[in-house]
Order: sequence, then structure tokens, then C-alpha cells
Amino acid sequence: MFDRIFAGALLVLSGLIAWTAFHFDVPFQYEPLGPKAFPIILSIVLATSCVWMIVKPDKNSWYPTKEILIKIVIGLMIMVLYATLFDEMGFIISTTIVGAIFSWLFGEKPLRAFLYALALSLISYFLLADLMELNVPTGLLFGDL
Amino acid sequence: MDVLHYLSIGFSVALTPLNLGLVLAGCFIGTLIGSLPGIGPINGVAILLPLAYSIGLPPESALILLAGVYYGAEYGGRISSILLNVPGDAGAIMTTLDGYPMAKHGEGGRALALSAVSSFFGSMGALLLMVIFAPLLSKLAIQFGPSEYVWLMLFAFTCLATMVGKRPIKTVVGVVIGLLFATIGIDSGTGILRFTMGIPNLFDGVDFLVVVIGMFAISEVLILLESWARNDLKLTPVGKSFISFSDIIAVKWVIFRSTLSGFLIGVLPGTGASIASAVAYGTEKRFAEGKDEHFGTGDIRGLAAPEAANNASAAGSMVPMLTLGIPGSGTTAILLGALLMFNITPGPLLFEQQPNIAWGLIASMFIGNIALLVMNLPLIGLFVRLLSIKQSYLVPIIVMLTFVGIYSIHGDTFDLFFMIVLGLFAFILRKLGFSLAPIILGLVLGEVLEENLRRALSISGGDWSILLNSIMTYVLAFATVAALTAPRILKAFKH
Repeated sequence: MFDRIFAGALLVLSGLIAWTAFHFDVPFQYEPLGPKAFPIILSIVLATSCVWMIVKPDKNSWYPTKEILIKIVIGLMIMVLYATLFDEMGFIISTTIVGAIFSWLFGEKPLRAFLYALALSLISYFLLADLMELNVPTGLLFGDL
Repeated sequence: MDVLHYLSIGFSVALTPLNLGLVLAGCFIGTLIGSLPGIGPINGVAILLPLAYSIGLPPESALILLAGVYYGAEYGGRISSILLNVPGDAGAIMTTLDGYPMAKHGEGGRALALSAVSSFFGSMGALLLMVIFAPLLSKLAIQFGPSEYVWLMLFAFTCLATMVGKRPIKTVVGVVIGLLFATIGIDSGTGILRFTMGIPNLFDGVDFLVVVIGMFAISEVLILLESWARNDLKLTPVGKSFISFSDIIAVKWVIFRSTLSGFLIGVLPGTGASIASAVAYGTEKRFAEGKDEHFGTGDIRGLAAPEAANNASAAGSMVPMLTLGIPGSGTTAILLGALLMFNITPGPLLFEQQPNIAWGLIASMFIGNIALLVMNLPLIGLFVRLLSIKQSYLVPIIVMLTFVGIYSIHGDTFDLFFMIVLGLFAFILRKLGFSLAPIILGLVLGEVLEENLRRALSISGGDWSILLNSIMTYVLAFATVAALTAPRILKAFKH
């Protein structure tokens, strides 16, 4: 069932790709094939494969329970939060928050999760920013660190 | 004696203090990553790639580090296979069959030591084969024109589709998705924008690192989140048993055969360690039939074969990557992407023009293998203890490393969001039984494939018959058709 839904979505996508590629506005070109042909060929291959998958789908072996889905959605939300905070709040604060939530999600007690994430972010900040000289955001709060 | 001369250049590169340190670090980190259940070589290399790139290592040093992680992880994958019955990665699945029963009989130490020795001989043998055959292959490849390259890539994709995964059609879809990713951005031929949806961050094309990290590391975190609910791994005690000399003598031919087949399968484009170890195990099982075999219940031959083969294939898969620019496995696809990021185009000329990179890497692999053997015999207890690291400590580290790695490339949070979207997409793909390696292969080869196809047709003025204009193109076309039909024909014969 999931196979069919997914293949259907890809089929729509391959149509969109072919349509978009067909309407590329190419002012001039020196070669016979041009930028349109390759994506169009690919979309045809994709569409054919998708039709095949719709006709002969695999048996579904994945049955996500509600609990699992909730965990995954939370995990995704935390990562989006991390991406949002990363630049503005800086590495140390955002890593502490996000690390603590992840550690807690994977079964750690809240206080220990927080302390672990705090230690992790401080040590890593030193390792990554000072020792490896990576581009790690300090954030607005610690702007002069 | 060209080879010896180049090899000495290689060792002079590999033995500089920086590179020596990086080999050791790479092997150590690799074993560590490989031994953690769930995080295989491909994830390890993916997570470390942006860091290696951002630190600003010279290309050969970065490659030496990442390659060390790669074959280190192939070594480490066996530890959790043997002690937990959970393969560290796909290549170590066969190791569970006889390794875990041995550990259950109290022979964990013997199994670990024997598998380390088999891995060592497997990769050393494959390295020697690589030193002999890589320069020959690169000499042959110098004569390749655009048509040959088009066929070579089609051959690689066909091998991948017919050999990897249960459903070839899903591999085809994966490859096409990867190829489509590669078309995003400014078209090099005409300068028009393709599929950028008006997002300026995509004008340069999708960033290879963002795709790799998103698809592998982020989806891995989601998979870990999902599987955590039913996670109760029990570590089997290692015991005091150890390998004896007679064990090694008993499996010497097993190791020899498995190394050869592992290397060959590694060289075949697209196929990797999981197939190599499965083939080697199957072969040995057939060889041993009737001769006091207890495969599946702790036979040392069943342990030595997949371990020698999967490490041999890791070295083998580097051969087409370095000589043809066509990766032999998912992980080498990432290594190839890494080279491209450093503006180095692997291919037949690499060995001639940049011997320090090609031969430096090969020499470093010799050093790395010895280091791995040394690390894996006495230090095995350390890695075993690391197996009991809690996921609640591990996952925050993975997430942090991926975010820092991606952010430090451009300093732009767009990449972070894009990475998460790709991670979700890859998670769905994995749950539906797609393998991710074809996508990476498609992404890495997409531009080269399109460029060569367009170049070939420019030369011929649009005449498609140029794709069959030389003996080599016929050979490759035949090989492609053979790879496409052989599994079906073999099946028909069996019935």
C-alpha cells in the first residue's frame, strides 16, 4: 500500500519534471542534446518504474505504531528547532537544549540528560571552535566569547 | 619497476607526521564507528566528511583520513555482529551467522581475534591486487572517450540494480532520483537554471555534503528513534579464549579464496561489501559440504570467509573509484564526492598527474591495515566496552556533529533545514525498502553521465550511433546487457 502511494507521488513528480524541463527557455545552444533531453529521459525512466511499482508493489512490512510516529515527529521537530536556534542562540545554548531533549527521548532521566548535554556542548565547543577552528556560531548572547 | 617507484612516492606522502596521525586516527575512529550497532562505514564517513572538509586539510590528507574510517569501520562491524548478534553494517550480516554462535559457546575472544586476522589478510591481499591492477586499469581507461564512459556508467547502474536489494526496480528508482538531484542548478552547457525553484542556495546545485548527511545521518537518527522502543541488546561475554596458530592454518585457503572473490566483487562498480561477504560465505559453505561442516553453529570457516571478503571488497571498491572515477560501493561514492569537492577529478589521469594522492592513499592503507591489526588484537577490550555506550549519549553527539559539519561549510542555516527535509525523505525511502547507496551513486555520477552523453552527441552531430563506435563500447554494452539478463537466466537454469 505504502509502495503504491509513494510510487504515485513519484509519478506525479516525474510528470512535473518532464513538464518543467520541456519548458526550459534555452536562448541558444551549440550541441544537439541540450539541457532539456537528459531530465526528460530520466523522468520517462522514473515514470515507467513507478507504473511498474504500482502494478506490482511490495508487501508492506512497516507498521508504525502511534508511539513510534510520535517519537519520529518529536525528533523531527527538535531538529527543526535546532536548525532555527543554531545561528541566533549559538552553538552552546542550542546544543544543550537539543542534546538534553534527545538524551531524554532515548531514555535518560531529565536532570542527567541536561547535565550530559551541557557538558557535551561546552567540551565540543572548545574542541570544534578553538582546536579545530571550525565555523561554529557563538550566538548573540556570547557574541564576544 | 614503475610500481615500486610510485609506491615509494606514496609512502613518502603517507609517512609524514600529519598523514600518519590521520591514518591512525581514521582507523581508530572507524573501528569505533563500525563497532557501534547501526552506524556503518557509510554513516561514519558521511558524518566526518564535512568536518574533514572544513578543517582545511589538504586533499590527500582528508582522503587518507576518510579512507581510514572506511576500512576501519569494515573491521569494526564484526564486533557487534559477534557479541550482540547485531551487524554493525550490511557487510557484517554474514559474520553474525557463525560469529555469534561462537561467542555463545564462550569463544568470543577466539572469534574476535580470528575475524581480525582474516580481515587483515583479506585487506592486505586485496591491496596487493590493487597495486598490480589499478595502474593497468588506468592505462586502459586513458583510451576511454565519452561513449565509453556513458556505457561504463550504465554498466555500473545495471550491476547495482541487479545485485543490490530485493527489488531491482527500487534501485533503478534510487539511481534516477540521484541523477535528478544532479541536474539541479546552473546547466554547465548553456548557463540556464534547472529545477532551482527560484531558491538562490540551489543555483550552484544541491550541495553534495548536505545530501549525504541528510540522507544517511539524519535518517539514521530517525531510524534509531523508531527502533529504540524495542531495544534490549545483551552483550555476550568475550571470555578468555584466543586464536591459535592452527586456526589460521585451517582457514588459510578460505581466506585466500574469499580475498580473491571479495576483491573482484569490490571492483565491480556499484556492488559492495554486503554482496562480497554473502558470496564468500555461500562459496565456502558449498566447498565444505560433507566435510565436517557445522556452518551456522560456529564454524571458523564461516567466520573467516565473510570477514576476509568484506575487507577485500573495501580495498577493491577503491580501484574503479581511483582509476575510472566510478565508485565501487556506496562509501566510495562518498569518497569520490569528497575528491570532487577538493577539485580533484579521479580518473585515469589521477595516477599519472597526481601520484601523491592516488599512491599516498594506497600506501596509507598498508599502514592502516597493520595499525588496525595491532589495535584490534590487544585493544579489543576497549572497543567491546564502547559497545555498551548508551544511545542516550550517542545520539546527541551524532546530531551535533551533523549540524556543526553542515553549518561550517557555508555558515547558512538553509543547508540545515534542507538536510532535515532530505533526512525525512531518506527515512521514508529506507522504510519502503529502498537502499540509499544508488541515490548517492546517481548524484555523484549524474553530471559526468550527462556531460559525456552530450559531448558524445556533439561530436557526432546528434547521431546516436556514436554510442557504439568502438570495440570497447561493444564490450561494455555487452557487459551491461549481460548484467541485466544474467540473474534471470541463472534463475531459469536452476528450475
